[in-house]
Amino acid sequence: MKTLFRGLLLCAALVAAAGCSKREDVAAVPTAPAKVAAAPFVVLATSDLRDVQPLEQMAVQATGVNVRFRFGGTMESTEAVLTGHANAHAAWFANAKYLLSDQQGQSRVKLQEKIMLSPIVVGVSESAAKSLGWDRPDVAAKVSWRTIAAAAATGKLFYGMSNPATSNQGFMSLMGVVSAASDKAEALTAEDVDRGAIAQFLKGYKLVGDNSAYLTEKFIEGQGPRLNAYVNYESLLLSLNASGKLREKLVLVYPHEGVATADYPLMLLDDARRDDYKKVAAWMQGKEAQTWLARQTLRRPVNAEVAASVVDVLPSPGLQIELPFSPDRKLADGLVESYLNEFRTPIASTFVLDVSGSMGRDGRLGQLVKAVSYISGADGSMTGRIAKLTSRERVWMMSFSNEPNAAVMFEVPAGKARSKGVEAVADSDAKLKTMDGVREYAEGLRADGNTALYDSIFVALQNMAEERKKNPGYQYSVVGFTDGENNRGRDFEAFKRDYAQLPEAVRAIPVFMVLFGEGKEKELKSLISVTGGKIFDARTTPLYSVFKDIRAYQ
Amino acid sequence: MQKTGKLAVTAALVVAFAGAVGWSMTRHQDKERVAIQQEEVQNVSAMTGYVALDVEPFFGDERVKKILRDQKVPVAAVRMGSRDMAGKVATGAKADFYFPSGVLAGNQIADEAKKANVTVSQTTPFTSPMVVASWKPIAKILEANGMAKALGDRVYSLDMEKLAAVMLAKKRWRDLKGSDAYPVQRSVLVATTDVRKSNSAAMYMALISNALNGDVVTDRTAADATAEKVADLFKRQGFQEAFVNGSFDDYLQIGMGKAPMVFIYEYQMVMSAQAKKAIQPDMVLMYPSPTIVNKFVLTATTGRGKALAEVLSSNAELQKIAVEYGLRVQSPGLFMEGVKANGLAVQEQIQQVIDPPSFELMGEMVDVVTREMLK
Repeated sequence: MKTLFRGLLLCAALVAAAGCSKREDVAAVPTAPAKVAAAPFVVLATSDLRDVQPLEQMAVQATGVNVRFRFGGTMESTEAVLTGHANAHAAWFANAKYLLSDQQGQSRVKLQEKIMLSPIVVGVSESAAKSLGWDRPDVAAKVSWRTIAAAAATGKLFYGMSNPATSNQGFMSLMGVVSAASDKAEALTAEDVDRGAIAQFLKGYKLVGDNSAYLTEKFIEGQGPRLNAYVNYESLLLSLNASGKLREKLVLVYPHEGVATADYPLMLLDDARRDDYKKVAAWMQGKEAQTWLARQTLRRPVNAEVAASVVDVLPSPGLQIELPFSPDRKLADGLVESYLNEFRTPIASTFVLDVSGSMGRDGRLGQLVKAVSYISGADGSMTGRIAKLTSRERVWMMSFSNEPNAAVMFEVPAGKARSKGVEAVADSDAKLKTMDGVREYAEGLRADGNTALYDSIFVALQNMAEERKKNPGYQYSVVGFTDGENNRGRDFEAFKRDYAQLPEAVRAIPVFMVLFGEGKEKELKSLISVTGGKIFDARTTPLYSVFKDIRAYQ
Repeated sequence: MQKTGKLAVTAALVVAFAGAVGWSMTRHQDKERVAIQQEEVQNVSAMTGYVALDVEPFFGDERVKKILRDQKVPVAAVRMGSRDMAGKVATGAKADFYFPSGVLAGNQIADEAKKANVTVSQTTPFTSPMVVASWKPIAKILEANGMAKALGDRVYSLDMEKLAAVMLAKKRWRDLKGSDAYPVQRSVLVATTDVRKSNSAAMYMALISNALNGDVVTDRTAADATAEKVADLFKRQGFQEAFVNGSFDDYLQIGMGKAPMVFIYEYQMVMSAQAKKAIQPDMVLMYPSPTIVNKFVLTATTGRGKALAEVLSSNAELQKIAVEYGLRVQSPGLFMEGVKANGLAVQEQIQQVIDPPSFELMGEMVDVVTREMLK
C-alpha cells in the first residue's frame, strides 16, 4: 500500500514539475483540486452495498473517474430509477430483474454489467440444524423451500428476514416458497400461488426489519430459543460466521432448486457518461476490484480467473439450481400486497406524537400531519402503497405535550379472504374510512406546552402490553416522535427504573424513535438502549419518508 | 483502526491531488489528440460508419485504428442498432458505410439506399454462426434422448426438430432418460434474449419456426402459425434479459444451475475464451442443425467505404484481430488457429445452413410473439 502511495506522489510531483515548465503559475497547483476535479460520476447503490464503500476511492484512483456512491433503500431506489428521478449517472442494485421486467424500467437502463454474485440462503444455528438433520450435507442438499416452510409451520424454525414487501431477500424467499409449493416446471403466475405454503412459512417469521445491519444486530441478541435461523445473502452469513459474534455458528442451507442469486448489475442511466461507465464497469470486473470484493465482502466474483484464486474463502458450492424469476408483475404485486394485508402477522402499534409548543414553529406540525397522512393512504407511489396502513392493522394515535393525551384507536378491517392465488386489490370502503379517520386525527393536532417524552413512551408501552394480553396474535411496537428534549414528568433515570419493573413480555416490544427538530440523539439512544428498537433520523431526511421507512420494521 | 484512518486521509489527499494533476494531463492529452486529429484531417480525414454493437469493440481497438490509418482508411465508428440503420439512410445521413449484424438489416439498408438513389456495394468480411452454449452433463442427456450428437470433444450438433418437439411438449429435465446429472423439475428450454429487443433471439425464432414448418417460412400463414407456437418457448422462460450479454453472463458466471442452455452468437463464446479466460472444462458448444450463420454485412455507400471493405477482407493482421473478437473471417485457417490457442472447441465447417425468413415475415412473427407474450 505504502509503496503505491509513494509512487503516486512521485508521479504527481513529476507531472506537476513537468507542468510547471510550461505553466508559470506554480502556486496554483495545490489549490486546484476543488475547482478542477472531474465531474462526479454518481452511482445510486442500494443500502445493502454500504460495505463496499472503500471501493469508491479505489475506483477513483484506478480509473480517474470521479466515482461517488449514494445509498438508498431497495424500493425507493427502484422507484427513483423507474420514474427517472434517480439523479445519478448509474445505479447498482443487488437485483434489477424487478426493474428490468418493466418496459419503463428497461428504457431507463442503457447498459448493464454484473459485478458480483451472492445467493440468498438460510443460515440455521448449528444445534437447530442438527436436530433437523440439516447438518448432514446429503440431507441439506435436498432441503427445499417446501422443507423450510414445513419446519417453520411445525415450530422448529424461527427466523429473521428482511421485509418481503421492501427487500430483495424477503421477496425472493417468498417467491422460493410459492415456487416450490406449486411444483410448476416454469415461471409462476399469480393464480398459481399456494396460499397455504405462504402461511406455513410465515409462521416462523419472528424478526422483521428492513436493513441488514439492524437485523444482524437483533439476530445476534436473540439467537437461541427465540431465533434459530437467519435468511440473508451468503456473503453476509459467511461474514457473520467469521465475526465471532454468534453464540453458535450458522449452517448455510442452499434451498434445492430454489436459490436466488443476487447478481449486482451496475447499470448505466445517463448515456452521456457511457465512457466513464465503461471504464468503471471494466475495472470493477477486473482483478483488483474482484479480488477485493471476494476477500473483504465474501461476494462471489464474476471474473472466472479471480473466482479460481479465492476458493480458499469461497469454495465452489457445487450444482445449485436457480429459482426462475417470473416477470409477471401481477404475481409480484399480488404477493407483496397479500403478504401485507393477509398473511403477515398484523401490526398493532402506538404512535406517540410530540405536539409541544416548538412543533408550532417552522411548519413542523404540517410536516407531521403530512407524514401521518402519507401512511394513511395519501401517497400513491410504489413505496407509499407499501407503507400505508394494512388490513387488520390496529393503530393508536397518542399525542403528548405536558402529559400523554388519551390514545385514539383505529382498526383497519380485514379484506375479503381469497381461496386461490394472490391479487392486488383496491382498498375497501371500510379501509378508506379508517384511513380518513387517521388523517382527520392528525389534522386536528395543535401545538402547545412542554415535552413529557418518557411518561408518554411509558404509557404507550403499558397500553401495548395490555392489548397484547387480550390479543396476542399481533406484532406490537411503539413509534415515538419528538422534536425536543424531555422536560416534564419522569426523567430518564425514573423511566429506566420503572421500565425494569415491567413484565418480560413488554420488554420485547421495540420502540422506534424519530429524531426531529432539536431532538437529542444522545437522549434517544439511551432510551433505545433500554427498550430495544431503532432510531430514525428525520433531521436531514423528510419526515414522511422516515415514517415510510419505519413501516418496514413494524 | 487509527492507522487505517490516517492512511485513508492520506489516500484521499493523494487522490485529490492526483486528480488535479490528472486533469491537467488529460487536458494536455486532449490538446495532443486534437493536434493529431488535425494532422489527420490534413492527410486523410476519418470516414463515418454506423456499426453494430457486435463489431464496435473491433473498431475501438487501437491496433485496428492504427492499421486503418496506415492504410489511409481511418474510421470514426458510431454504434447503432442494426434495425435502426435503414432509417438513418432514409434521412439522408452522410455516412461512408453501414455495418449491420444480419442479412436482413443489410437488405433493408440496401432497399432504402436504392430509393434514395445511392449506389451501395455489400461484402461480408465477418460472420458468426448461431450456437447453443451448454454443459457436458446436459449434452450427454440430450444425446441419450436423441437430440444431440457428439461431433468431437466438447462440440455437438443439435437436432432442432427433436429439441423443439421436446420443449413444446413441456418435458422437464427430470423426465428425460438418463437425467441423473440434472434431475430438475424445470422445463427443458433454451434461454434467449428478449425477442422484442434483440437480433439473436429473432434468429432463435427463425430456427424454431424452420423446425416446426419443416422448411424456411415463406408465407404469412405459416409465419403466424409457427410464431404462435414459438411464443410459448419465449413466454415460459420467465424473465429474459434485454441485453445481448444477459443470459450469456449467467452462463459464464453462475453456471449450469441457472443456464443449462443459452442461445448465442459463436463470437460471444470465442471472445470470452480469449479475453476473459472464462472457459471451464465442462463447457460445450452445440451447433443447431440446421443453423443460421449471422453475417456482418459491410454496406459501403461511398468509394471510401468500398476501400475499407477491401482492406478488411485482404489485410491478414486485421483478420487476426477480428478473430480475437470471436469473429469468423474469410480464411477459416486463421479462425481455427486463433481458437485452438485458447483451448476452445468449435465446429470448423458449419454444416446445413439456412437463411432466416424475409424481413417482413420476421417482423410479422415478432409481432405475433409480442402479442402472445402479453396475454
